[in-house]
Amino acid sequence: MNFDNYILDPSIYDEMFLPGGEPRPHAQILHDTLAELSSNELATIQGRVNRTFSNESISFTVYGDAEAEERIIPVDPIPRIITASDWYTLSRGLEQRVRALNNFLEDIYGPARIISDGVIPPDMILECPQFRPEMRDFRQPYGSWVAVCGTDVIRVDDEFRILEDNLRVPSGVSYMIANRKAAKASLPRLYRSSRVQEVEQYGAALQATLRELSPNGKPDPALALMTPGVYNSAYYEHMFLAREIGAELVEGSDLVVRDRVVYMRTTEGLRQVDVIYRRIDDDFLDPQVFRRDSLLGAAGIIEAARAGNVTLANAPGTGVADDKSVYVYVPDMIRYYLGQEAILKNVETYLCRRPEDLEFTLDNLAELVVKRVGESGGYGMIIGPHATQEERDEYAKAVRANPADFIAQPVQSFSRAPCLIEGNFEPRHVDLRPFILNGLQTRIVPGAFCRVALRRGSLVVNSSQGGGGKDVWVLAED
Amino acid sequence: MLSRSAQSLYWLGRYLERAGNLCRLLQLQSESLVDRPVREIHFGWNRIYKYVQRDPPGGEIQLFGDEEYVLADSFALADDMTFERTNPSSVYSCFAQGRENARHTRHCISPEVWTCLNASYLRLQQQNMASVWRWEPRAFYQELVTDIETFGGLAECTMYHDDRWSFLQLGRLVERAQGAATLLLSQIDTAIASSQQEFHEEDWTSLLRVFYALEVYNHAYTVAVLPDRVMDLLVSDPLLPESLGRSVGLIGSEIASIGSGPYSRSGRALQRLVGRLSSMINYEWPDEEERVALLRDISGGADELHFLITEAYFDYPIQEPA
Repeated sequence: MNFDNYILDPSIYDEMFLPGGEPRPHAQILHDTLAELSSNELATIQGRVNRTFSNESISFTVYGDAEAEERIIPVDPIPRIITASDWYTLSRGLEQRVRALNNFLEDIYGPARIISDGVIPPDMILECPQFRPEMRDFRQPYGSWVAVCGTDVIRVDDEFRILEDNLRVPSGVSYMIANRKAAKASLPRLYRSSRVQEVEQYGAALQATLRELSPNGKPDPALALMTPGVYNSAYYEHMFLAREIGAELVEGSDLVVRDRVVYMRTTEGLRQVDVIYRRIDDDFLDPQVFRRDSLLGAAGIIEAARAGNVTLANAPGTGVADDKSVYVYVPDMIRYYLGQEAILKNVETYLCRRPEDLEFTLDNLAELVVKRVGESGGYGMIIGPHATQEERDEYAKAVRANPADFIAQPVQSFSRAPCLIEGNFEPRHVDLRPFILNGLQTRIVPGAFCRVALRRGSLVVNSSQGGGGKDVWVLAED
Repeated sequence: MLSRSAQSLYWLGRYLERAGNLCRLLQLQSESLVDRPVREIHFGWNRIYKYVQRDPPGGEIQLFGDEEYVLADSFALADDMTFERTNPSSVYSCFAQGRENARHTRHCISPEVWTCLNASYLRLQQQNMASVWRWEPRAFYQELVTDIETFGGLAECTMYHDDRWSFLQLGRLVERAQGAATLLLSQIDTAIASSQQEFHEEDWTSLLRVFYALEVYNHAYTVAVLPDRVMDLLVSDPLLPESLGRSVGLIGSEIASIGSGPYSRSGRALQRLVGRLSSMINYEWPDEEERVALLRDISGGADELHFLITEAYFDYPIQEPA
């Protein structure tokens, strides 16, 4: 099926086509292969991929009004291609960023020099709900507060930009691997001839990272992945990763803390746990320290970590570094801690806590995206141009009432890629979430979860808002 | 392994085994609707409801009315036992519970086992009694039985036979043993309860078919079906795959490979109980005059297995770390 009806917008970067309509050189073979497939063949491919995802139940749980719904992650079989040189820039930039963020966390919960040196205003940190004073003077092996980071990257014009850092319990890596499986099954010959870098080693890389974080270098540590349970939206991923890294999949109720040592309840009695890859939010982790009403956590786990008897990855309190306001200061952190300029730029951002930014935001609401700093997953935000006047007025009221809770960004015309939509090729906006692992060394698997805004014209890629995914092919050479 | 995971695997095994037993009974029942007399259909339904210890919707199943009535009634009963979400014993509920337990412990079973179970569950979810009834209900139940047997086969050959496998297997075997004892007692009680005192060979033939034992019976004995001989075969024959005695023997092997667990009081009690059950089946059964009474004892013992397993491995009191 050809691309004759594919509508290019020259003002928006297309991942496959040059503005003039010619395929980009690195996407030429993909383009030609797709063009040679009949619409029947494409429908068969899509049907097969959907059936596999459904039978294997590769899902994301979405909470509606009534109850939790296990929803299959929609997958588009057409890969997005990233050249080796683009990946080189991206991975260097990501590594640099995660290094600075780790330095920042080590500093902010320790001497807090970045504040005393006047780089970041103190109220920025102290008023951030994700700043956990309980974590002061906490130590992580190798200063690795963030062991697993999922960074959202968009391409604007011909440049990658960081949309946000996810430093708490980022998810999506299991879909990266599922999407790869789907793409290989759909376009096997093309895959072979395209010299794509593998991503399946992610589990091994994660395991190696977690083992490096073993408390006091204890050899052969017992790993556990801590999940809030089967009703969590990312439960599929928790299960998947537990299997990949050979960890027990534990819930809070499986853990017992005695004398500042964490044990899990097994069929052979209590067994010590050394490293916990926790996929449960800070709030629920330990009712003795954070939310007292949490039934999902394990009492005493923070104390055990503080005593150096167990490592929590990621460390509690990392959320202060991915706060949507603190984000503005990441380039300053890179300069401050590493003495370098940021390789990957941020998106222009207005902090409504600053009077001039607030005024600008309220005056230009129709052209801006405004987000609540404490929310994630596409919740609590407004896309000015897509909202009605009433919605904007309503939102403006909330911004005026608590300006510090909001940030604003110009609507990004981030890139689009061809997707198979009801049997036709149509452009859809896409972002990129690569995963960075950080233990004794930094590891980045050459790939990412590419999120797709499936509705025509939509800019919302979040899985919780009905977004889908597609595979990302990082080429071995240009 | 983690106690909670072990418990989920155990329940996964139990629910799927229960769904399989039920599907086999319903498969026979739907076959009997084609050509068997009303009395036999009636007997079959009563046996099923006694087996799951549930009152049929609308109270007692009546043996009266014309053929049309029996068929209409059968539709409602089959629906109740197959798709009724509020009936915890329905095939659907067993599948849903089995799948839920599998979801909790999906990292402990092979992807092949999960996909088999999930695909089967998704197919079941898309059907209803009217659509099944319109074509061939027998084939519908047969497919489910095949799915569950495929599940068992895949588990056998794709899972590493460590504790994960043992707990899954333990669940299946405990359910199989309990189910066999309960079904035999339901057969006897239904026969006693029916107003006619005469013995109906075909009711016992159908019981043999539930256990895949009709041909074996014909081969080992004669074609004359006698209740005592049927019971001998189903209770104590060590070569019949799903006999009570064989299931208890296999439970013993699984427990031996798991070990007695962290709570030795229950662990040892469990081992003794398995020994006692084996002895009742292998040594007392052949000479026993009061077989029904012995069968009730065995059935009680099989129920007790569950509580001891739970206490020995899953819900044990926490002592100080080893």
